[in-house]
Amino acid sequence: MDKASENNKHVYWNPYFGGFLLGLLIIFTFYMTGRGLGASGAMKSSVVTLVDKVSHEHTVNNGYYSKFVQGDESPMNTWLVFESLGVLAGAFISGSLSGRIGFRVQHSPKITSRRRLVFALTGGVLFGLGAQIARGCTSGAALSGMAVLSTGGFITMLAIFGTAYLFAYFFRKNWI
Amino acid sequence: MGPLIPNGILTDEWNIIIAVLIGLAFGFILEASGFSSSRKLAGVFYGYDFAVLKVFFTAAVVSVIGLYYMDYLGWIEMGMLYVHPTYVWAAIIGGAIMGVGFVAGGFCPGTSLCAVAIGKLDAWIYVFGIMIGVFVFSEAYNVFEGLYNGSFLGNITLVDSFDIPASWIIFGVTVIALAAFFVSDIVRKRIKKVFY
Amino acid sequence: MINRKLAKILANRYVILASLLFIAALGLLVLPGYKKNERVTAEDLLAQVVNPERYMTSDELAEKIIAKDPSILLIDLRSENEYNEYTMPGAFNIPLDQILDPESEGYLNQDQYDIVLFSNQNLTADQAWILLTRKGYKNLHVLDGGINGWYNTILNPLKPTENMPKEAFDRYDFRLAAAMYFGVGGETLQDKDAEEEGSRKLVVPVMKKKKRKPEGGC
Repeated sequence: MDKASENNKHVYWNPYFGGFLLGLLIIFTFYMTGRGLGASGAMKSSVVTLVDKVSHEHTVNNGYYSKFVQGDESPMNTWLVFESLGVLAGAFISGSLSGRIGFRVQHSPKITSRRRLVFALTGGVLFGLGAQIARGCTSGAALSGMAVLSTGGFITMLAIFGTAYLFAYFFRKNWI
Repeated sequence: MGPLIPNGILTDEWNIIIAVLIGLAFGFILEASGFSSSRKLAGVFYGYDFAVLKVFFTAAVVSVIGLYYMDYLGWIEMGMLYVHPTYVWAAIIGGAIMGVGFVAGGFCPGTSLCAVAIGKLDAWIYVFGIMIGVFVFSEAYNVFEGLYNGSFLGNITLVDSFDIPASWIIFGVTVIALAAFFVSDIVRKRIKKVFY
Repeated sequence: MINRKLAKILANRYVILASLLFIAALGLLVLPGYKKNERVTAEDLLAQVVNPERYMTSDELAEKIIAKDPSILLIDLRSENEYNEYTMPGAFNIPLDQILDPESEGYLNQDQYDIVLFSNQNLTADQAWILLTRKGYKNLHVLDGGINGWYNTILNPLKPTENMPKEAFDRYDFRLAAAMYFGVGGETLQDKDAEEEGSRKLVVPVMKKKKRKPEGGC
């Protein structure tokens, strides 16, 4: 098995196995903390912290930042930030076990890595914006929402995947 | 019984430790399932790799079935769990924007963090992009405020929305998920393989 | 042979796994319905109702108050007016219609104190006792006879007649002493007690069970 993964770095877990473990993890998360998983919250906290460092006055006066700066407590001191640190470490462990670590840009052979990076940036900006409007990303809103049958979670999930399928045609060159 | 921390069975200090441990497991599972590869993720939209659909739906179905069994056994109080609030238009429009971002960038925030950890430079740029997106939203909060806070229906579940028992909804979701797995395998066989 | 069988099973592994998931979902559907909020079943409730320990007699209570037992928490279930007029020393006022309010929960739902519920007689306190037991709260007691019983036994005890056993006399002595402690010569009960209350204000920290809504979101 080690040999196989050495030869082909793209040998991943069976998706059903991964999904099953992820399902158990969601149950465990709800059982322990009463909340679901999340990811974009850490990036939001980072932005709030950065802006707060530059101009504290601005964060207090802005209607959105001000929700996350209260008193002396750092906006970084939230559950999701710690969880995201764990995600980074966990992914690093898994990646190093199967030899997938290394600085590179992954892109389709038909496009340049410059084009890939431009699209990655655009996609990131859009996702960041959308995640704030919908109050959560695929993990926070859709996945954890679906686990408790939240209506908003299902709507978000359908909207994300529905639109992605609609627009997939226009971005096909990037991927296939 | 559960959830342990909100019910005060475990103290708050545990919250941080558990957060890191849960994150570790989350990152490990995502990476090992191949979610650190944007081309694998994007495969779900072009039919050459359905890992996203399979992992995502399996996780959703397993967790919802598990949670409701635990509720039945009295191990967890469903009322104490955080239910993602429903802001109809914010969810639709935000979801649509995220959908475009997903197919353009090939990641979602959780998977991009995994890719960051194993050194994918496109993921670094993607995370930077997300932070710009958050910044844009916050600076233009006045523009988005109406949408962000509008059409609020409360922290409702599908049980409230459709007024049918949770068990039927779960059963429906399970059947849909199994059907989706079956169809995805058929589709994948018909579509030209893409090596990545 | 075995290998071939195993191979056959493995070839169908996805079908088997899918059926397992399907059965699990079906299981939720056919599970017998049950009432979610029924934390105490009728049988349990009956067992607790007939348990004599749920009553506290006036004598026991008087003893505890005199001994300054810190574990006693008196809850007056009568209306606020009645409470202001006269109550037990150190009692808190939570009228019956407010016992399920969230503010009351901090006092009632805890396991540090022995809660003694009382009203004018037994009925209201018994009702409150059943409601709170049904909520799953612990250490609940009813003052037997209520305030009236308290008045008749402790503050204004009946003198035992000659032919009664010695215990009755002992009890009478104790009650007299207790009445003295509570500052009573029957008639002056009102103002004396007001004084008593001023001097002995129980400060009960609100032991709100740490329960908070989990926050979430991405």
